[in-house]
Amino acid sequence: MRVHGTKKKRLEEVLEGIWTLREAGGCTLEELHAQTGEPITEELLEELQAEGMVRLRGEEVELTEKGERLAREVVRRHRLAERLLSDVLELSESVAESHACEFEHLLSPEATDSVCTFLGHPPTCPHGKPIPRGECCSKLRKEVHPLVTPLSELEVGAEAKIVFISPRRHSTLDRLASLGVVPGSTLKLHQRSPAYVIRVGELEVALDPEIAGEIYVKAAVKQKHH
Amino acid sequence: MHCHGGGAEAPEARSRIALVGNPNVGKSVIFACLTGRYVTVSNYPGTTVEVARGTARFNREVEVIDTPGINDLIPMSEDERVTRDILLDGVDVVLQVADAKNLTRALMITLQLGEMGIPMVLALNMIDEAAARGIKVNARRLEEVLGIPVVPVIATQRKGIGELVASLSRARPSKFSFTYPPAIEEAVREVEALLHGRGNRALALMLLAGDESLSAWVHERLSGEEIERIERLRTRLERRFGRLPYNLARERHRVAEEILKGVLTRVLTRHSTESHSLLVRLGWLTMHPLYGIPILLLVLLGMYEFVGVFGAGTLVDFFEGVVFESYINPLATEVVYRLTDVELVRELLVGEFGIITMALTYSVAIILPIVGTFFLAFGILEDSGYLPRLAIMTNRIFRFMGLNGKAVLPMVLGLGCDTMATLTTRILETKRERVIATLLLALAVPCSAQLGVILGMLASLGAEAALVWGGTVLLVLLGVGFSAGRLLGGERTDFVLEVPPLRIPQPGNIVMKTLARIEWYLREAVPLFVLGTLLLFVLDLTGALGLIRSAASPVVVSMLGLPPQATDAFIVGFLRRDYGAAGLFALASQGMLSPLQTVVALVTITLFVPCIANTLIIVKERGIRVAAAIIAFIFPFAFLVGSLLNFLLRSLGVSF
Ligand SMILES: Nc1nc2c(ncn2[C@@H]2O[C@H](COP(=O)(O)OP(=O)(O)OP(=O)(O)O)[C@@H](O)[C@H]2O)c(=O)[nH]1
Ligand SMILES: [Mg+2]
Ligand SMILES: [Zn+2]
Ligand SMILES: [Zn+2]
Repeated sequence: MRVHGTKKKRLEEVLEGIWTLREAGGCTLEELHAQTGEPITEELLEELQAEGMVRLRGEEVELTEKGERLAREVVRRHRLAERLLSDVLELSESVAESHACEFEHLLSPEATDSVCTFLGHPPTCPHGKPIPRGECCSKLRKEVHPLVTPLSELEVGAEAKIVFISPRRHSTLDRLASLGVVPGSTLKLHQRSPAYVIRVGELEVALDPEIAGEIYVKAAVKQKHH
Repeated sequence: MHCHGGGAEAPEARSRIALVGNPNVGKSVIFACLTGRYVTVSNYPGTTVEVARGTARFNREVEVIDTPGINDLIPMSEDERVTRDILLDGVDVVLQVADAKNLTRALMITLQLGEMGIPMVLALNMIDEAAARGIKVNARRLEEVLGIPVVPVIATQRKGIGELVASLSRARPSKFSFTYPPAIEEAVREVEALLHGRGNRALALMLLAGDESLSAWVHERLSGEEIERIERLRTRLERRFGRLPYNLARERHRVAEEILKGVLTRVLTRHSTESHSLLVRLGWLTMHPLYGIPILLLVLLGMYEFVGVFGAGTLVDFFEGVVFESYINPLATEVVYRLTDVELVRELLVGEFGIITMALTYSVAIILPIVGTFFLAFGILEDSGYLPRLAIMTNRIFRFMGLNGKAVLPMVLGLGCDTMATLTTRILETKRERVIATLLLALAVPCSAQLGVILGMLASLGAEAALVWGGTVLLVLLGVGFSAGRLLGGERTDFVLEVPPLRIPQPGNIVMKTLARIEWYLREAVPLFVLGTLLLFVLDLTGALGLIRSAASPVVVSMLGLPPQATDAFIVGFLRRDYGAAGLFALASQGMLSPLQTVVALVTITLFVPCIANTLIIVKERGIRVAAAIIAFIFPFAFLVGSLLNFLLRSLGVSF
């Protein structure tokens, strides 16, 4: 990459902004200005166009193939960092967010994939937005031992702590939370079939297999001293 | 009993106390203790789906309200919404009922009620079960922290009810307060200011969380500009925190756990109690992928033996064959003949379509024993806690129909009575699911009365006939369920169901529940039976019956291949399907139906239009348009399936 230092950082911020706006519908110049904190100078935009990352079509801002690839990487790093900081290290929302903004410019591709694997390849960030998949997610590499796995990979009878929940349907999140199935709670897996049954505190809850795949847990260390 | 003294003076004239709490924690048991009025108590979440009101025994001026269980003040289904609306309406005191062994969940609601600022009392129910699991709750400490009366109770043993009543005079808003992250608090303040006292902190939070069920409330009271401002605040928060209801619940969960640190003690470890309880182990077996199936079959067999064989066989034979045929009907005939010589009156009372010889014989001699045995067996099943486990075992089948295992509750309740079951579809989360479940109930779930008669008739025809009948109905259920799921589009919702512990049913509750349901049945069904009989009587008298029979003959005789008299059964079937089935029963016992005709007629009457009461409830719950569509589909469809079956069986040469 030829761009360096804070310039690189600022370009990445803009790419991230375009990606995020696109998820919400579309990205016009005006919206882009409103979104990224710092003003987007003409110079920045020209730079991006010159680098062949962005092209303008009227008011609409589009990513080129190259820009797309870079934006994807930045967004992936940012959202993985959010997961790591808020769910595993349990930092408060504001601290996690500001650190995530730093991390997204720092993590190397190898480190990013390690974090992703470590977290069990989470499909979404804490805000429910999709995390772009990396190479690690499709390969079933077992070298890095994941710390976090979906509940569906837990052994029957094992206890685990919920790290994060990443459901397709947001209402499921509310329902689980109102039952006390939230990150930080300890659960015990009782059975997988015909439906998953977990126990949280004194409450037993039955779940579809799909939801079990969306609850990410950290298995408790086994202590067998009987 | 202990009601007239003590803290009775507190709630002023006509004050309202609402029982609120998580599902299945004993609200309805406490309601009965406080009012002396029985409402259904069962061991599964979602028993109560409507409010029940009663006058307090301890003070005639106090109204007590039982509500459906909730897990959050933001409703996720219609029954939960009923409760939230009662709270928004304004009540004087909230009596929150908590399951002492699941206090975190309860406190998450307590915190929300605190945000509403309503005076409240917390009943720690099921202290017995908590103790058995080694959980001790320091009620005094909790009382100090929350600043509201906290009373340990064992509702089923009536322990602590006196103290609970006395504590009502000390009800007050919880003084415990906590804050959400600063950005959320800021938005709450803004919304509160905007509401100008038209709502409290709790309401502001609900609005910010994007509670859609509030939209009517909002549009009534707020200007478009105000609504827009709230919406802007909401999107900003959601962008920053992600899903808001979830984040608020998570925060409350954290605070609740924090509170409980100083309140709860575990005496034993969980494992030591768990493995020792036979009930717990049995509970696991009933939902085990392997052992669960034989247990399910055993339950079905038990039901069949008790209701189908004993109720519909032995008891009906006795009541109909002996009591009515040999004693009551001859006696009644004799009395009527002596009292009057007007032929019309004689016919009306003891004739072919007589009120005594037909309506009473049907409802009391044939249907009552069946319904009675069914309600008894079903009550035991309900109170044991088996039904949620059945939902787990059948989840896959319901997924096929675009529903989830939760729908098993209304479906099996439908075996008791489709009308009650249609109300219970409120526990399903989306409109789409409620419509599918309502349709299936109306179409293919026979109520116990009908089922009993049908099983009784099939029993005499042998296993093959029963298989053909059962197979056809099941196929229709699955096929229509599947197609309706596809046709209505949309997604099925996720299966998330709390599973209560297996409990040994309380004989007192079973008796009360069975009696209440039998009484309800008699009140609901007997008048309709009499009405149906009168209808037939008049139609017969005026000669209209013959006309209808010949008008219906292309369908009944040609397509279904039944004798013209079977039309009578379908006519009364409009009032109640079980009455229609009973009509077929009489026809068959007069030797007017061949085995093949019996099976075809039974399939048709099983799928026949829902009874009047059920139709009214469908209109009330789903609206007139959905109701009309359902009936318009079912009526021709039932005859279509019957005709097809008739054709198929005849061409295959099956005669049983
Ligand atoms: N062991 C024990 N069981 C109880 C106690 N109170 C209630 N139960 C049982 O708990 C179950 C639920 O009671 P309900 O009164 O129906 O509960 P509810 O809160 O009205 O439930 P929903 O209407 O479904 O929200 C029944 O099986 C009761 O017998 C108690 O103090 N101890
Ligand atoms: Mg109840
Ligand atoms: Zn995010
Ligand atoms: Zn990955």
